[in-house]
Amino acid sequence: MPKIGVYVCHCGLNIADVVDVEKVVEYTRNLPDVAVAKHLTYVCSEPGQRMIQEDIREHGLDRIVIATCSPRMHEETFRKTIEQAGLNPYILEIVNLREHCSWPHSEEPEKATEKAKELVRMGIARVRLLEPLERRKVSAEKSVLVVGGGIAGIQASLDSADAGLQVYLVEKAPSIGGRMAQLDKTFPTLDCSACILTPKMVDVAKHPNIKLFTNTEVMNVKGFVGNYEVSVLKKPRYVDEDRCVGCELCTKVCPVKFPDKFNESLSHTRAISIYSPHAVPKIAIINPNHCLRLKLNKDVCGKCLETCEPKAINFEQQPETIQLKVGAIVIATGSEVFDASEMPEFGYGRFQNVISNIEFERISDASGPTGGKILCPKNGEPPKTIVFVQCVGSRDKRFHEYCCRVGCMVSLKQAILAREKLGKNVSIYICFNDLRAFGKGYEEFYRRARDLDINFVAGLPSEIRNAANGSLCFDVYDRGTNKLFEMHSDLVVLANGLVPSSDLGKISELFHASRSADGFLLEAHPKLRPLESATVGVFLAGTCQGPKDIPDTVAQASGAAAKTIDLLWSGEIELEPLKAVVNKDLCSGCRICESVCPYVAIEMKTEIVDEIERIRAEVVEAMCQGCGLCASACPVDAIKMQHYTGEQILAQVHAVFEETEKVGGS
Amino acid sequence: MSLIDLMSMAKPEKESMRKVLAKLGRSEFIDCFQCLKCTSGCTALKLLELKPHEIMKLVRLGFVNELAASEIIWTCATCLKCVQRCPQKGSPYHVIMALRNLAVEREAKVPEAYLKAVSQILENGLSQTIQKITTRKMETFDRTSLKLPKISAPKESFQTVFLKALEEKQE
Amino acid sequence: MKMAVFWGCRILTSQYAYEMSVRQVFPKLGVELVDLREATCCGGPVKSINAFAADYLAARALALANLTGLTDLLVPCNRCHFTISEAKHRMEINERLRLRIGELLKEDGLEYDPNINIWHVIDLLHDAVGLEKIKETVKKPFKGLELASHTGCQIIRYSDLGRVDDAENPRKLDELINVLGAETVDYSEKLDCCGAVLTYSHQDAALSLAGSKIKALQGLNVDALVVCCPACQMMFDSEQKDAGTAVGAKLDLPVLYYTQLLGLALDIEAEKLGLHLNQSLVDKLLTKLPA
Repeated sequence: MPKIGVYVCHCGLNIADVVDVEKVVEYTRNLPDVAVAKHLTYVCSEPGQRMIQEDIREHGLDRIVIATCSPRMHEETFRKTIEQAGLNPYILEIVNLREHCSWPHSEEPEKATEKAKELVRMGIARVRLLEPLERRKVSAEKSVLVVGGGIAGIQASLDSADAGLQVYLVEKAPSIGGRMAQLDKTFPTLDCSACILTPKMVDVAKHPNIKLFTNTEVMNVKGFVGNYEVSVLKKPRYVDEDRCVGCELCTKVCPVKFPDKFNESLSHTRAISIYSPHAVPKIAIINPNHCLRLKLNKDVCGKCLETCEPKAINFEQQPETIQLKVGAIVIATGSEVFDASEMPEFGYGRFQNVISNIEFERISDASGPTGGKILCPKNGEPPKTIVFVQCVGSRDKRFHEYCCRVGCMVSLKQAILAREKLGKNVSIYICFNDLRAFGKGYEEFYRRARDLDINFVAGLPSEIRNAANGSLCFDVYDRGTNKLFEMHSDLVVLANGLVPSSDLGKISELFHASRSADGFLLEAHPKLRPLESATVGVFLAGTCQGPKDIPDTVAQASGAAAKTIDLLWSGEIELEPLKAVVNKDLCSGCRICESVCPYVAIEMKTEIVDEIERIRAEVVEAMCQGCGLCASACPVDAIKMQHYTGEQILAQVHAVFEETEKVGGS
Repeated sequence: MSLIDLMSMAKPEKESMRKVLAKLGRSEFIDCFQCLKCTSGCTALKLLELKPHEIMKLVRLGFVNELAASEIIWTCATCLKCVQRCPQKGSPYHVIMALRNLAVEREAKVPEAYLKAVSQILENGLSQTIQKITTRKMETFDRTSLKLPKISAPKESFQTVFLKALEEKQE
Repeated sequence: MKMAVFWGCRILTSQYAYEMSVRQVFPKLGVELVDLREATCCGGPVKSINAFAADYLAARALALANLTGLTDLLVPCNRCHFTISEAKHRMEINERLRLRIGELLKEDGLEYDPNINIWHVIDLLHDAVGLEKIKETVKKPFKGLELASHTGCQIIRYSDLGRVDDAENPRKLDELINVLGAETVDYSEKLDCCGAVLTYSHQDAALSLAGSKIKALQGLNVDALVVCCPACQMMFDSEQKDAGTAVGAKLDLPVLYYTQLLGLALDIEAEKLGLHLNQSLVDKLLTKLPA
């Protein structure tokens, strides 16, 4: 005879404001096998949990039902609670009286109470049939794959490596540093970006626990948490990494020029060059799409070969595929910048003096195309007026509905830098919709900008035109003065926000990391689990999960590293037993389950039974995510979902149609 | 709603808002967040002081009656720039048209030319009367002298049915 | 190609040159135009009065096209094109509207067909007839001419409705001009409105809008302004003198319909194209053309 304990939570007022918890408990007491039925304000609280444990000991309870908020909130907590009291943690049923009852039916408390009774009755029917399950441990690789070498990837790598994990940092570009390496200064401190970033970059290169792969991309990911098998493709630099000393003499003699990606195409680089001013590793790379010898596949040019003293140039270099075994993955692939030519009314791409925030950043950077002088691209002269236009491509249902989070702070920073570099006699305006300066020190930064005679127009222009005298002009209505202003400017800087990178689709597929509606990678829970993807063992850091600034990126990266350390430090991983199990006696080897499994978790095993060779399905426990597709697809009902068997679910269905004392209604 | 415009002592008018929504064929107002792009680029702003963002905000807060009785809603040039560029896919143009329809229903200030166009259509199907053209060289031409085909007017049933259409209430 | 044509009001009652030039050029390009049974308004001016009645008139235009048995309808006026296109879209998404309008049309002995393709002169020439075909048919290409195009507002906006050309960078009219041998200029005021709709209520403002655009163009030394809508032509051509007064400038820019320009390139007589009806100084342009 089972002894069931039922606990109905008030959840503060969340449940109790709508559902009459006393009536539910009263009703429950009269149900068969219910030994204890109580209600509390907060079952999840310490006294609440202690009470359950005391009741288990005192009354000999062996099955527990907790009617409270969604199991996603506290199921794990309550499992530990009853485990500590000596019960198997899986003989626990959470009945959702909040998201499934009090919240959606808040306008109908009487009907909600009746529904609550039914839901508890269903929960009791299921808990009667739940079976004890054991968590299995598998060994885990004490290593992490970090994908992306921007500040997020760098921070996550350093933290994980410092804790003793082996880190493989894979970066697509020839150097780490990412977006932060392109910045001049960072808000709100106006720290020199390179000064705070390069020490970390060097730390990464020197760290004994970090293996750095640049010019490398992830091609394939197999396996499961604790035991991922990743193959990465190291593309050839055509330069021997062990010989190149980074002297850059080759760059000087190379005859081929093409737009420099790092400088946002504001200057040219050579077919052989070092990727960026503070590159780590500082090794040259030849671009095979531009190098004459590689493009034409002929024995031409070769000037770099002649010039290189350490004889580091190697045109025969081949791509290398490397296999890595890792226990966890941190995705830190960053984001891209909105292409403002998608909004032709602002003239980006048509008018040379309409530039984006990131282009301004390169211009302002001392290691950039103008040596740090603010000059208009069109005529190379310093501007006498600069206007910033906010929210280009962001907060816009035609392009991206979200707020890019950093646009306001970036423009404030650039306006302040412009003031410092160009002096008092330059007019600087920022046209904005809302000015968002939300972080620590950010509002003070906004004040600093205003104190520097930077003016704010509360309104956005509809279009930007080329005036007859070559300057840019536009009309803009200002909310503060209620006036329509005609503005003339030498330079217009568009605050075009961060957007999901174009290869995020591929990344999403490779790592089984879903995407949210805005296109960025989806976190497991926006409030409580912002560092993890829904796939166990795959963590998210940086702007690949959503636009954010450097402080938030670093915090998230350190958090993701902490999660990987937490997961892997013991060298073992516990697998949840909520998996599919195949009854080999019933399996006919039809392979339907194999074809529907989205996690490649079913293997067909050949067995000899009664001297006949048979094919039977077998679940790879570590890969199985317990989705249930195989069980519902199996035509002979040979697959059982542990903890969600057909009998358990049907028992709940039958329970609904039993009698309840009803108050009016159906 | 507890809001009073201290200039006019007007309060939000729920019924009029509902009428405007019905004319727009929507159940909710489009959430204008006052970016001002529409007004910054409005064809009718400089000469006629039309501020589409202001109309959007007034309607959103419920101050419809004053707008429906105003002249400002008749200054829109229907260039559609505001519809094209609004980042919230709002449409001041459509809201203004709905306000115009409301003004007509309430027999408020409607420019004569519009009413004339309607009566002209009722009369012979077209919104304009046939004109003779005088060239720069002071010669006069009409359709016949230009050898253009005669215009065939619609039958009587056109008038009856069009009148019915004009009387249709949009709820 | 055979298609029905809906002229609207302005073309039939005052902008005769557009009708004349359209009737002249299309047969030469293999397009046969079929007139509708009767002439009624598209509903444009009625939109401000009663949106439902306006949609009814627009649907009626499509119902009249349906009577011809043809599936394509040419609408040479920008405003008619927008009014009819928007009404068609509204009836597609609102079943109750479509049914109610269908009932009223039935009372008038007509039936609405949602499958009628709506064309404008610009996309009919650019996309259906094609630039190649036009180039082949041109007999007298213009050389050394610099023209400005004015596509207008209501056939490029709003893009969600699916319009004739791109809303921010309309190129079709320019390309149609280029294929005749003339150069086109890019100018800041290109997307500015002619102001025609304001003639219903604010005549001075309407004239100022038209006048400012012509004034700006005169500063660029273009040979002519090319339009493709009777309302725009009315403002820039018929009302040019008054527009000049409104902005305090002497305006003498030749303004003509694209179909008139095309007709000249096809070696059709100027009078057949209604060029004598243009109020602006088109003679200035005609003297620059090859004999």
